[in-house]
Amino acid sequence: MGRLVGIDLGTTNSLVAFVDPNTGAPRCIPGPGGETLCPSIVSLDLDGKILVGEAARSRLLTHPGRTIYSVKRLMGRGVEDIRDELKIFPFRVDPESRNVIRVRLGERVFTPPEISAFILRELKSWAEEYFQEPVDRAVITVPAYFNDAQRQATRDAGRLAGLEVLRLVNEPTAAALAYGLHERQRGRVAVYDFGGGTFDISILKLISTSEGDIYQVLSTNGDTHLGGDDLDNLLLARLEQEIREQTGFDIRAHAEAAQQLRKALIAAKHEISDADHATVQVSLPGGNAFTRVITRGELETLILPVIERTLGPVRLALADAKLKPAEVDEVVLVGGSTRIPMVRRRVEEHFGSRAHVELNPDEVVALGAAVQAGILASGVTDMLLLDVTPLSLGIETMGGVVAKIIPRNSTIPASAQELFTTGVENQTGIDIHVLQGERELAGDCRSLARFTLRVPPGPAGLARVEVKFLIDASGILEVRARDVRTGLEQAVGVQPSYGLGEAEIEKILEESIDFAEQDFAARQLIEARNEAESILHSTEKSLAGEGAALLDPSERRGVDAGVAALRTALAGTDYKAIRARMDELNQATLPLAERMINRAMETALEGKRVDEV
Amino acid sequence: MPETGAQIEWACWNCRAATRGGHFCAGCGKIQPLPAGTDYFAFFGLPQKLRAEPEALEQHFHRLSWKLHPDNFARAGEREREMSLERSSQLNDAYRTLRDPVARVEYLLGLAGVRKEGQSRQEAPPELLEEVFELNEWLDELRTARQGKEDGELAELKHRLATAQRSFESKLHDVDSELEAAFERWDAALDAHAGEVQRAQLMAKMNEILNRRSYIRNLVAGVQQELAEGM
Repeated sequence: MGRLVGIDLGTTNSLVAFVDPNTGAPRCIPGPGGETLCPSIVSLDLDGKILVGEAARSRLLTHPGRTIYSVKRLMGRGVEDIRDELKIFPFRVDPESRNVIRVRLGERVFTPPEISAFILRELKSWAEEYFQEPVDRAVITVPAYFNDAQRQATRDAGRLAGLEVLRLVNEPTAAALAYGLHERQRGRVAVYDFGGGTFDISILKLISTSEGDIYQVLSTNGDTHLGGDDLDNLLLARLEQEIREQTGFDIRAHAEAAQQLRKALIAAKHEISDADHATVQVSLPGGNAFTRVITRGELETLILPVIERTLGPVRLALADAKLKPAEVDEVVLVGGSTRIPMVRRRVEEHFGSRAHVELNPDEVVALGAAVQAGILASGVTDMLLLDVTPLSLGIETMGGVVAKIIPRNSTIPASAQELFTTGVENQTGIDIHVLQGERELAGDCRSLARFTLRVPPGPAGLARVEVKFLIDASGILEVRARDVRTGLEQAVGVQPSYGLGEAEIEKILEESIDFAEQDFAARQLIEARNEAESILHSTEKSLAGEGAALLDPSERRGVDAGVAALRTALAGTDYKAIRARMDELNQATLPLAERMINRAMETALEGKRVDEV
Repeated sequence: MPETGAQIEWACWNCRAATRGGHFCAGCGKIQPLPAGTDYFAFFGLPQKLRAEPEALEQHFHRLSWKLHPDNFARAGEREREMSLERSSQLNDAYRTLRDPVARVEYLLGLAGVRKEGQSRQEAPPELLEEVFELNEWLDELRTARQGKEDGELAELKHRLATAQRSFESKLHDVDSELEAAFERWDAALDAHAGEVQRAQLMAKMNEILNRRSYIRNLVAGVQQELAEGM
């Protein structure tokens, strides 16, 4: 089994981390350039190669039609969900998209989990290079307010990247784990996580028990489509308009120039976190330049409504935890957008206490994921995380009304059992529609899945099927059905409303065989095989020629055995075994190699005088 | 009262030792499957009493969480992982229900078949009929007045409704005290090993209080919502 890592799969940046066994502390793993942040950007090269991270970022400007960012916004969503987003994000959605969005990169079409899988593969290779060992399992973080479909999509992405996803951990909770380790805090903690594309608020209780520390989430709330991206888009819309008014030039029609403007204003936004103004400068096609100074005051006025929007979920989370803002002992800020001074100020005002910003807000979630990965890897631990499901789970009943069966903020794993029966004679199936959300009517909630329970024909009300709805520790729904009279389990073919079916995942996995060489183990195997082939070739060549006479019979038997053993190893797929046999063969051929070198030198020296040597 | 698997001898799936339906085998320490029909009280090893001790229950919940949580079984075989998922979800479900006094009594009455989920009666308790009638009239007037934008009348109506709301809130408080007293009687009856008939009577009484409570609660929530809309 390979290594286990923690991954923060973010809207803007992604990171991979592990718990350093020497220090016991979590650490982010750097990429080839030494940086720990991998931009969540994917680009398709002209010759079909996939580029991820910094390599893809520069292509946002040069190849906007082959490059995608913020794909997390599309995870687990249907086409009608993202209509608003399409107005402000340059996603090129394939018109064939149905319950899973498909986006075009150049001439190819990908689903959001596939694109996320490219990012995960990149991080996996960072970790493999770092450990010099394969990585095959991961804990991946998701926004706490992600629904079932968004979580499933994330898990699918892991699978497509060759990672077994042992657990999905909510981002604010992961941050709390990292902070708890760092600060040794006790009491009630609010984690305000304002990232690139999502906003979460979680209220936790940290409890010391004789067995260890329990991190119990009391409530969570959020908005999975509210983040720094929205701030950028507000600024972008304003500047686009000004350019139009001043120069008559519509920058939106020029993908390259629009990306340049976006890049410049994001840099300005970052700068304003420390300075009181910043300058945005872009060169427009046709040689014109656009220069604009943005003051902190202007930025704050512009983004204030977005910041206020985050306080709605904060109030709801506090109400569900039955707490007043002042009853929260500590406030922790997570996510790049909390670097904005006004965000910090508003949060501190709301809770009436100072916020913690000791840990790097970009890294803290990945560090927490690594802590949870460490817990799962070691089995024995003095830390326990009790998280909750963010949304109520319900089933559709008569008249399209939703009956709630697992309330929001229930500690997970959680379950509910429901008994179903037939309404009419000789009915052979009972249709079940599972939803997630707080509203009364099915049409206002998020459809998760539909399935049909099979029942033997008979009088109405005779059949009895007990269905168990189970939300696992990752917040993902499982459904089991049992015939009460026979006690037999029934396989439930759940068709996800938004997401890839099992068959589709299999198909993508088959098609993605071209990416197999990116896999560490596969890469090692290929390298080992190539080296082994060349050793075998040269050994056999010398044995067939002059080398044969240079070995005594026992040495010859040793070399022959080594060759045979390496051939056997080559037929397998264990690169370590191949390397071991290679080393053994090298040992066995050592006398041969020495003698051949001596022989070669003798030949070269023949006819030469000693003083010439 | 339904008894759970306490008298039944369960055999450990791993070492075949008797387990008596407990969370773990006393012999080999392996987690055990959850016997079908284990109720929430039995899961915690508690008598079916209604006066909760929140702190003791929370500590019990945390102790069991340490032992049963899927984190502890991440490296175990599929069978044990499945048992952990089953037991830890039941633990969370049970704690969620038992820590809330109303959910707890509703669950108990549900176990005994006295109360069915979603079937609480929606008719007004007789002694409240007059007040409810008046309240509904005011609510109608409020909606009409709002359409006509008669500001003076609106303020006066709101005032009356707010007063009525306070009156019903105080009734809700009374019902809660009544419920609390009924819990005490139930727990005493359990201690005294009361017979079926007495228990059935106590349960019927509690069911009646719960119906009244849910009616008044809906009423208060309705008025609150109506008043909030006009803000």
